[in-house]
Amino acid sequence: MKDFLYNKYFQTTLRIILGILFIYASAGKLFNTEDFAKAILRYEFLPIYFVNLMAIIMPWVEFFTGFLLITGIFKKASSLLASISLIAFLIALTSAFARGLDISCGCFSLEETSSKGDIIYRIIEDIFMLAGALVVYKFSNKKKTEEPLPAEVKE
Amino acid sequence: MKILKQILIILVISAVFGLTANAINPKGVKLILEKNIYALDSAKQKKTIDGFVNNPYDTNSKKTSNNMLSGKMNKEGFIEPENISVELAKNLFDRNALFVDARNKEEYDSVHVKGAICLPYVDFKNKSVQDRIDIMKKYNKDGIIVVYCRGDKCEMSIDLAYEIARLGFNSVSIYRGGIKEWKEKGFPTQP
Repeated sequence: MKDFLYNKYFQTTLRIILGILFIYASAGKLFNTEDFAKAILRYEFLPIYFVNLMAIIMPWVEFFTGFLLITGIFKKASSLLASISLIAFLIALTSAFARGLDISCGCFSLEETSSKGDIIYRIIEDIFMLAGALVVYKFSNKKKTEEPLPAEVKE
Repeated sequence: MKILKQILIILVISAVFGLTANAINPKGVKLILEKNIYALDSAKQKKTIDGFVNNPYDTNSKKTSNNMLSGKMNKEGFIEPENISVELAKNLFDRNALFVDARNKEEYDSVHVKGAICLPYVDFKNKSVQDRIDIMKKYNKDGIIVVYCRGDKCEMSIDLAYEIARLGFNSVSIYRGGIKEWKEKGFPTQP
């Protein structure tokens, strides 16, 4: 199993999938700050002063995280950042769900309709992506060669 | 440590790109949001409007007490909907305001505010602008419209209210208490 997780083709595929998802998620928001700010507002989660700043910067963090995941630059950093963002989204989504907020999540597209079922799907999606990101983070380095140490030469 | 440094680099680059994009974007936003501009709560303070009877279907009538919700034209060129309290919603109901139900057809059929029309947001948002105009043209643009949905934190009433206001309706309000609160108060419902 571990060998499989360390497998470089598996790692590359996983990174590319995650990267595409991140870029796809950011695409609708990069230049649509106002709508994204509204989507964040509906979570009633962040202090209102931070909402716009978050809406300005977050999509670009997503975009660059996705870009780095795909290209394989800063693998550890990008997968860790992806995991941190996904955990943050997970907390926001779960708390919205627990408080019974009937909101559209603003995760991928900003045009989604609101329905409670939607949030559950998003939470599940988020958990899968988080698992993927953590696998990349943990296993992205080549497996250390575990060759047996050369036997001590006894005279 | 190296990883943290790289994360910091990514964040700084993102911030630079984000702030630049926002600065050159004609639809950019202010860095610090001072109040929730999405749904203004000012109308919640008002309890009643006096001496006015609305006729939502009379497209010729000019509303006498214009801007009863003190709405102002925003930079997009429409008057923003405002949140209203249950008292004001009932007051408007008594004055023959047009109630619009943003939920889907089944929910509308099970129970709705007496006399409300069914206009599911999910369908409405997918329609072309021309179709939206056609749907709404039988109603008075100066008439008072109250949009509601399930209640609690249902957001569809806000979205639908904004779409209707964008068509040029001047007195759209959002009753966020929704059908839930309306029923609890024992106000008239159908069927």
